[in-house]
Amino acid sequence: MNEKAKTVLKIHDISLSFGALQVLVDVSLELREREILAIIGPNGAGKTSLLNCISGFYKPQKGKIFFDDREISNMQPYKRAAIGIGRTFQNVEIYSGLTALDNLMIGRHPIMENGLVSGALWFGRGRRIEIEHRKQVENIIDLLELEPIRESPGAFLTYGQRKKVDLGRALAMKPKMLILDEPMAGMNLDEKEDIVRYVLDFHQLWGIPVILVEHDMSVVMDIADRVVVIDFGIKIAEGTPAEVKSNQKVIKAYLGAAIQKN
Amino acid sequence: MHVDIEKIDTLSKALRFQTQKYGDKIFMCHKDLGIWNPYTWNEVYANTELVHLGLISLGLQRGDLVGIIGDNDPRWFWAEYAVQAAGSIVAGMYVDYHYAEVKYVLSFSKAKFAFAKDQEMVDKIVQVKDSLPDLQKVFYWEEKGLWFYDYPWLMSYRELQELGKEYKKTHPNLFEENIDKTKPNDPAVIMLSSGTTRMTGDGVPRSQMAVMSHRAIMLNLAGIMKYDPWYDTDRWVSFGPPAWGEQYFGITAPLMAGTEICFPEEPETILHDIREISPQKLIYSAQLWEMMASEIQSRIGDANRINRFLFNKFISLAQDVVEMKRKGKKVPFWLKWLDELGNVVSLRPMRDNMGLKHIRNAYNSGALLGPDTIRYFHALRVPIKQLYGTTEIGLHCVHPDEEIDYETVGRVINPDCMKISSEGEILVKGPMVASFYLNDVEAWKKNFDEEGWYHTGDSGFINDRGHLIFYDRMKDMVTVPSGRKFSPQYVEARLKFSPYIKGCIIIGGGKKEFVSAIVTIDYENVGNWAETKHIGYTTYVDLSQKPQVYELIKKDIQRVNENLFDEIKIKRFVNLHKEFDADDAELTRSGKLRRKFMEERYADLIKSIYSDERSYEVVASVKYKDGRTGSIKTQVKIERIG
Repeated sequence: MNEKAKTVLKIHDISLSFGALQVLVDVSLELREREILAIIGPNGAGKTSLLNCISGFYKPQKGKIFFDDREISNMQPYKRAAIGIGRTFQNVEIYSGLTALDNLMIGRHPIMENGLVSGALWFGRGRRIEIEHRKQVENIIDLLELEPIRESPGAFLTYGQRKKVDLGRALAMKPKMLILDEPMAGMNLDEKEDIVRYVLDFHQLWGIPVILVEHDMSVVMDIADRVVVIDFGIKIAEGTPAEVKSNQKVIKAYLGAAIQKN
Repeated sequence: MHVDIEKIDTLSKALRFQTQKYGDKIFMCHKDLGIWNPYTWNEVYANTELVHLGLISLGLQRGDLVGIIGDNDPRWFWAEYAVQAAGSIVAGMYVDYHYAEVKYVLSFSKAKFAFAKDQEMVDKIVQVKDSLPDLQKVFYWEEKGLWFYDYPWLMSYRELQELGKEYKKTHPNLFEENIDKTKPNDPAVIMLSSGTTRMTGDGVPRSQMAVMSHRAIMLNLAGIMKYDPWYDTDRWVSFGPPAWGEQYFGITAPLMAGTEICFPEEPETILHDIREISPQKLIYSAQLWEMMASEIQSRIGDANRINRFLFNKFISLAQDVVEMKRKGKKVPFWLKWLDELGNVVSLRPMRDNMGLKHIRNAYNSGALLGPDTIRYFHALRVPIKQLYGTTEIGLHCVHPDEEIDYETVGRVINPDCMKISSEGEILVKGPMVASFYLNDVEAWKKNFDEEGWYHTGDSGFINDRGHLIFYDRMKDMVTVPSGRKFSPQYVEARLKFSPYIKGCIIIGGGKKEFVSAIVTIDYENVGNWAETKHIGYTTYVDLSQKPQVYELIKKDIQRVNENLFDEIKIKRFVNLHKEFDADDAELTRSGKLRRKFMEERYADLIKSIYSDERSYEVVASVKYKDGRTGSIKTQVKIERIG
């Protein structure tokens, strides 16, 4: 990626601990425009904690987070969503009583301009706005090939389909950046290939920068522009997939050699 | 109603004629982004013109070949009309072709241009483009994922139409003039024949390409419409592969009759979309009808007790009535009354649910449909007509509405053009037959005898009502040691009526002293059944080998055995560890068994069936969609019956 590309998200020296447990230690990283940044590391390395710091569910004790040149370290999670930080979850969290379509419409909620009354009465402006939003949602349905399950309630969907709906909802809020927490976990090869294609598709189409946490190394090496490696809460490497692959620290972290020595 | 094919003698002229007649009436309807988008005759004509002029500006000439691959879509149809108006030929391909098959079709036909629906289809061409020197441009209509493809030969459908728009400025009347230049005997389409055992170097079947002229196609349909009229108030669901029967019924018949064509959003949404369309006319392959019958049965299985009880009673009563009528017996008035009650209470709601409420004629194409399945649908008031036609000869029979008989494939439309040889082979001749095989005129000539009859290789019989009864391919008819002849396909069709059996192949005849079956289970339905019986399973392989599943399948085979002569009763069977798959070349793309190939492929298994062994270890090679190969190893049980 172009070094001069504008920085979208900047994390500066954050540290997070729960009581005596040190989860993140002085982690810094940058996400640039039109970039897919993968965060990898062994289980329990602190990847999801780092994501939670970005979306605001955890508050780091030290350090600052900037998004679009503005500090968001103290902002509430729902406000962060409204300014354009979208995410999917490792454990799929979609509304099981709503159809796939309605789940996606909910994703539009933070950016719907109409108020309660005009939304409820559904005529005039309220109706126009809803139709416009539905159009956008239909584009996402098309992109993620959700047509066959458009009207199916969340509870009836398979795991892979729920993950797709989750991704669709994150896309529906028109994010300026997107955090994907293990979007391919528990999927079979076909479904994985599909998700990879969707990620590349919306990334190409809308240029949304993506932070991706993923365990499948072949996927990461294939699609990431840069990779950050975290182990025991410490950033141990950063670079292109090829650089990271040959980094001795990374090999040790994954093969466990470091632990044996100590 | 229908165009007069003596005056309007090409497909392109029919398009122009109907456009002048219908103008702003809706011709095509396509669901996209959740909404039905209508296209009027005028719009279709205008779009076709732009594609046509775009192609001409890129150098399309008379006699050139253009390949198309993709799901049914108005843009496929426009492209086809546009190509034909230039006096060029269309070669349609199946979406599930893998790249080697695409390469075979495009290279053998020396296609100059190709249309591909989306990234998936374009990728197939990208793989083989280097070996296709004649292919100049490829046009795609779904842009998703292709935004950053940078091949000089790749162009979007929209850009092509833009070129057409530019070209129109300097050649405003060219489309009209080219339509005038089309002649009835111009080749219009290539139909890929499937009954072949020859392979290319890439291991794909070397299908012959039969060339159909404008006139041959129109005559075929005019014949059908004589007994089975189409109206401009009808709706047609375009769902079958356009490389197959849809070529006649979807692309051409509406041109001749003014029928509206509806395109579902995705192939997977057909069962949902068909309810919104509620068509009068429909063609499904035998596989799909069988799937639909299974779907109805499994839905009823999940219904509440009262509904289930009523439906099962009424459908079996209705089947009895259908059978009585067919045999010409008088139906007692109380039975008629009960049957009508059943229709209102149970059958009509089911029909509505399946989107078949307005069905007037439904066709079955591809393989023959078992009589049980047909009776079932007739009882549901869905009058399925079996069609008989092959790639080379087109369609020669159809059931008039008042003569539907599910044991036959319909009345012979033109008795002068069809006869049965002394060996029982169906022979045809006349202008409906294809013109020749592309690049293989020698092989084409071998199909004819001295009197000019085309030998279909099918065995059949014309009964005293003038209906054709189709048995099977001549070479597939089997003689058991006792001397009795039978058609394996017939037994297979009966077996496949079971919701639990998805596919099967019947083995027997020659020196084999009894008949046996290789069955593939229906994963979904057997899986659901296993769940209700609390039988745990992991994969298809595991499920297929469960003793309880063997018992389940055995019962179905015994039911079929009851109606078979003793010598051809099935004595042994196996549940295969995998489904039959066209990617393994076990089926043709239209879903027919490639029998000879299968018998070679499973030669060892068949040998075990006829020995004393009780199980057999299979190491099957599997070919994946992307062309890789792998192998699975498993034990398959050999079960005996009676």
